[in-house]
Amino acid sequence: MLRLTDVSFFIGILPAVAAVALLLLMVVVAPTLRWRRWRYEIRPDEVDLQRGILWISRTLVPLARIQHVDTRSGPLQRRFGLATVVFYTAAGANQIPELSAPVAAGVRDRIAALTRFQDEL
Amino acid sequence: MNSEAGPPSGDPGGTPEGTSIDKPSRRLHPAAMLIGALRTVRRWVGALVIPGGAFLASQGFGVRTIIFALAGVIVVAALAAVWGFLSWRATTYVVWGGAFHLRQGVVQKNERTIPLDHVQSVDTVQGVIQRLFGVVEVRVETAGGGGNDPDASLSALSRDAAGTLRREIESSRREPAGTEEEEEAGPDVVRKLATRELLIAGATSGQIGVALSLVAVVSQLFDEFFSEAFVERVVSSFAPRSVTAVLLFAAALGLFAWLLAIAGTVLAHAGFTLSRDGDYLYIRRGLLERREATIPLSRIQAVRVVEGVLRQPFGLAALRVESAGYGENAGVSTVLFPLLPRREVDEFLRAAAPEFAGEPSLERLPSRALRRYVFRAILSAAPLVVVVAAVAVFGLYAGLPVPGCGAGGCGFGTVSLFASEVPVGALLAPLLFVLAGFYGWLQFRDAGWMLSGGRLVARSRILARITTIAPGRRLQSRSVVSSPFQRRLRLATLQARVASGGGGAEVRVVDLGSDAARSLVERLGPVSYP
Repeated sequence: MLRLTDVSFFIGILPAVAAVALLLLMVVVAPTLRWRRWRYEIRPDEVDLQRGILWISRTLVPLARIQHVDTRSGPLQRRFGLATVVFYTAAGANQIPELSAPVAAGVRDRIAALTRFQDEL
Repeated sequence: MNSEAGPPSGDPGGTPEGTSIDKPSRRLHPAAMLIGALRTVRRWVGALVIPGGAFLASQGFGVRTIIFALAGVIVVAALAAVWGFLSWRATTYVVWGGAFHLRQGVVQKNERTIPLDHVQSVDTVQGVIQRLFGVVEVRVETAGGGGNDPDASLSALSRDAAGTLRREIESSRREPAGTEEEEEAGPDVVRKLATRELLIAGATSGQIGVALSLVAVVSQLFDEFFSEAFVERVVSSFAPRSVTAVLLFAAALGLFAWLLAIAGTVLAHAGFTLSRDGDYLYIRRGLLERREATIPLSRIQAVRVVEGVLRQPFGLAALRVESAGYGENAGVSTVLFPLLPRREVDEFLRAAAPEFAGEPSLERLPSRALRRYVFRAILSAAPLVVVVAAVAVFGLYAGLPVPGCGAGGCGFGTVSLFASEVPVGALLAPLLFVLAGFYGWLQFRDAGWMLSGGRLVARSRILARITTIAPGRRLQSRSVVSSPFQRRLRLATLQARVASGGGGAEVRVVDLGSDAARSLVERLGPVSYP
């Protein structure tokens, strides 16, 4: 067994084990949890977004404040048939990521239709 | 060619001029030529001063080079004057067909069209030159814009022409006044800043940091332009040789920065007058450059009552507004009034912006939030404390004379503590941590919130104590965020966003009870607005 220093095998392999564990966590565990926690609901008067594993946040955006809605789709997303819905208020943007493309288009159209009659900022 | 029904005769700013599209457009006041010329000169001087100065220095300061330089200056001035004239001739404006049209450009001709109902305000600014000629600069702002670059700016118009333009633009947005008298009644003054209050505002503005950094910049420049040896001679002749000299020098520097801060405030806010005319607020302020700004009440998203560290002990506060599409940049609030007594704020808001008036008593944070506030304060103070303690304990650092410390230790001596000798400097760290913790307690005590009359009122302290009033129906979005530590203590943070400038600003309550947060988020929903 290769011995670079005076350290025993099991201690020497610790950093490698830690790296693999971290990788598993970031690639497999965390995204699954995050996906499970992502929820959205489009009510007649506002959009309700809930997300987060450790830092849980719930955001409500009144439809009256949404100025316009986009769907966005990068190359990787397109390969899997996904899109992100982004809606803009005067104070910034909010998004619903990684919806299937038809669902994303439907959400975009639904929000756009519901905000049509709003004239306030 | 059309003749037009323009502004009253005898008004040089309203020369009628037909255009090829039969629009009766108007020119700027001739003073615009001078302003344009000066702007051109300033641009060119900025570009040429360093290479020009270097060139002159290399040629020596003989008579010939001075004449050469003077000739150059005259040429530049003449060219600038010609350009100023050409720009003036090329600039015309008109209100026609429900829009404001501005034509500009000598070489590249631009026409800008702003539909009248996109115009948010028509502001006037009076710089020194405009004052000399009795004219004003008019800036037409739209809702999406703001920022330092107004959407359309006319550099010189006579007061009459400016008034006519303003009436033409605004008449399409507001209901026409009932009678002639109503229209000429004009806005009512809500409050005017007295000179005494102006000086107090300058003295307590806490902008000393800005002034100090200015001093630092100047000293940097000083370094660059003068040779090492020269600087060393100056410094060694002025350098402080003792502790008291260092302190005096620091005090003098601080005093100078403070005076600069006062000067800055006086320049910006002299004669600050807030008036209201129905749904519009008018702000006039400025010493050299006189500004007149309009804030439509419907665009105000939130009002902030700012009690600065130097002002709160005297019961004073400043008022700022977050205004949609108006203001310098995203999230930078505009001054509504620079200084007034805290107890007069409610009465002031009732007169100026009644939607934001009303001072409900605030709900405090639950006591389990205290330890988080204290912890956060200590955590943010930690780096500073560590540095200060290290300097105090280990004496000299990079040759810097530390008060009371000489080579090999600090002169304050040691203190006998727990049967060992502890340098006084080492006690500094725990003391600073205690102070930080106390500040955290202060922040906890000052935090509060309330939902009253459809308005979210939130108070917090970072340095200044700020109370924010935001009507629920103006919020762009609201969130409840909780970290695992907060969840363990049944706490959460409420974040509401309002529109401000070209972007957004936040109203935040950190560490309130999670039930309260949840119920607040629901109650702030669309149901609460008409």
